Amino acid sequence: MKAYDTKLKYTFLSIATVIAFLLLWQLLAVTGFTGIIPAPSVVFRTLLDKFSNPNPDGATLLKNIVISLKVSLTGLLLGIGIGVPLGWLMAWYEPVNKLVRPLFEFIRPIPPISWIPLTILWVGIGLGAKAMIIFFGCFVPCLINAYAGVKTTDQTLINVAKTFGASNFTTFRKVAIPSSLPLTFTGMRTALNCAWSTLVAAELLAANAGVGYMITMGRSVGRVDIVIAGMITIGVIGYVFSRLFDKIESIVVKWRTL
Amino acid sequence: MAGSIRLTIDHISKTFPIGKSESFKVIDDLSFDVADNEFLVLLGPGHCGKTVTLNIAAGLEKADAGTVRLDGEVVDRPNSKMGMVFQKVGTFPWLTVLENVELGPRFKGENKADRRKRAEKFIKIVGLQGFEDSYPVQLSGGMKQRVGIARAYTNQPEILIMDEPFGALDAQTRYSMEEEVARIWSQEKRTIIFVTNNIEEAVYLGDRIILLTECPAKVKAIYQVDLPRPRDMMSPAFLALRQKISDNTDFSMEREAEA
Amino acid sequence: MRLDQTTHKKSLFQHVVGTLAPSFLIILLIGVWVFASNRNSVLVPSPVTVIQRFIKTFTNPINNQLIWGHIWASLKRVLLALLISCGIGIPFGVLIGWNKTFNAIFGTLFEVLRPIPPIAWMPLIIMLLGIGEVPKVVIVFIGTFTPIVLNTATSIRLVDTLYLDVGRMFNANERQLLFHVALPASLTSIFAGFRTATSGGLMVVMAAEMIGAKAGLGFLIQRGLDAFDIPLIMVGMIVIGLVGSVLAILTDFLERWITHGR
Repeated sequence: MKAYDTKLKYTFLSIATVIAFLLLWQLLAVTGFTGIIPAPSVVFRTLLDKFSNPNPDGATLLKNIVISLKVSLTGLLLGIGIGVPLGWLMAWYEPVNKLVRPLFEFIRPIPPISWIPLTILWVGIGLGAKAMIIFFGCFVPCLINAYAGVKTTDQTLINVAKTFGASNFTTFRKVAIPSSLPLTFTGMRTALNCAWSTLVAAELLAANAGVGYMITMGRSVGRVDIVIAGMITIGVIGYVFSRLFDKIESIVVKWRTL
Repeated sequence: MAGSIRLTIDHISKTFPIGKSESFKVIDDLSFDVADNEFLVLLGPGHCGKTVTLNIAAGLEKADAGTVRLDGEVVDRPNSKMGMVFQKVGTFPWLTVLENVELGPRFKGENKADRRKRAEKFIKIVGLQGFEDSYPVQLSGGMKQRVGIARAYTNQPEILIMDEPFGALDAQTRYSMEEEVARIWSQEKRTIIFVTNNIEEAVYLGDRIILLTECPAKVKAIYQVDLPRPRDMMSPAFLALRQKISDNTDFSMEREAEA
Repeated sequence: MRLDQTTHKKSLFQHVVGTLAPSFLIILLIGVWVFASNRNSVLVPSPVTVIQRFIKTFTNPINNQLIWGHIWASLKRVLLALLISCGIGIPFGVLIGWNKTFNAIFGTLFEVLRPIPPIAWMPLIIMLLGIGEVPKVVIVFIGTFTPIVLNTATSIRLVDTLYLDVGRMFNANERQLLFHVALPASLTSIFAGFRTATSGGLMVVMAAEMIGAKAGLGFLIQRGLDAFDIPLIMVGMIVIGLVGSVLAILTDFLERWITHGR
């Protein structure tokens, strides 16, 4: 069909662009136009080499990835686990809202990264400290979106539940929460992105292992190839996670996409 | 049929793909003509083919087969000789009523004084004077559709296409809008193609009614309506024609249940 | 939203709770804070110490700058980055949202680079451009550019086809469709992107200033860590929070002004 042909054309154009970009980069690097930036082939070789070579940061790539993932997932899950239920409760039960909101409004505008020094002094630079920083970043979007999700529940649906004799809590559980899911997922997606970028900051500023630390070490020993390899690793993992998240979302809120 | 033929719908068909292998035929070899200054009603059940037929007639969509000709020329893109009143209205929320109404002439680059004057005239005709500077969010559904009608007239189309314009309105507003349209039509003669799924509305407005089949859309029957205007919905002749069409439709049962 | 709101009157107890609750957690927090600072006043300075430190920043310069100077240093970087992001990002977003060929080429490059968080660019940018003013604005720009492009492109792509059909039916040419239909229809969403960009920019500027700067709120916080001046760290955090809130409020005003409060 014609629509299919057009689609194929654009896919081809996309792939061609990426290849052209890499070729141009390679060409410019080989001829010395990119200065200290190495050619993509060099970065690729470094990336492969990092799987077995622990220099200069003291750990292989895989080990760094595992450490980074552990930290970011701990922070992310904490942020979701506390932020989402709290957002739901605040939206449904006014006293909870009144209790938590002032504190939340106080903490909300503080960028998670500025918690780093305080966290270093109080908790150190271990897994717990970094997870806490990431938690601060993830908690906020989770709460805000879960709150908005419940608040925007169609009043008709609530009235239907009420007419059928559902208790306040049942209505909350069976009507408000399910209808809040699309927005709640939006919040979790923002949190996921936030977790990943906060992690990098935390590892750049305070760490002794992880992909961010690998980049820092690469910089301090002047290895641009290591720095770029680290950036690519972070980008790829971030991408994989966001695709994985798409899958989970499409399964949980199937009724929305059907 | 009075007057010469303006618009010719010639053997058009349209099929939409669903997924990879299935497809859904919405129009099957549909042909009809529209005469000058005629009020033509396309009456069809459910949600099949009517809007697509209008979009093809207006040049917004392309047919898989067949052609549309306006005064002998093939229509393959929107043409300022044709105007459209959309089912979902589509007033721009960022423009005031006046700005919405003068949209067509503004896009055409007509000078401000002329288009303002004409826009104000039609705002008055549809009964929206006083609301020129309101934004659409401040209007009711019926008022929004009046904006849609004034907008179409201000663009001075020779042929006006109306796609179930009153489908979303309550019965009360719908009756008054039908009266309004009949009145405006007698005041500003135009060729009108009006789509509806409401038999009463069709008989009230149309010079001629083309009854379409359920999916895919084809011509099932054509009725000439010779009742004098303004029409009386309770007159025996009106009711008889309404009954006759009703007996011939797939959706007569539905309508009865609704009433 | 609550179901029983209208069904029974509030009891006196609920009334008391309702009035006191908002301040309750804050009071509790301050209580815990005071208690902790009594145990270890070096690691957890008392609220009074923090306030005194805050007042001192108005009279005693840190690295030749009073608090206003540091606020302005951070703000200048963020605003400059936002300005450049809007200037380049909105047209770029419009192009990749509107034109499929442009999207297949430049949209793809954008999508390939997008998963790399802005802060991860920092070491590379520093290696290339040093730690002056330009690299900082560049890093913040990377953070603010992405949400603006993304929101612009998505909303242009998702403009209701009804609006486009109305435009076409009323004589709009391709250029008018873009500027008088698609763009106004996307304005709300572009503002949402701007908001994300603002808070993202504040976060990135913090990171950039903490890594190496001579002024700015991130510098203050880092200086607090280096000099073991914990009250100063807290002052920095509170001030950046206030700056973020003020920017958010200003953005709301700007949006209401541009969209005439629609």
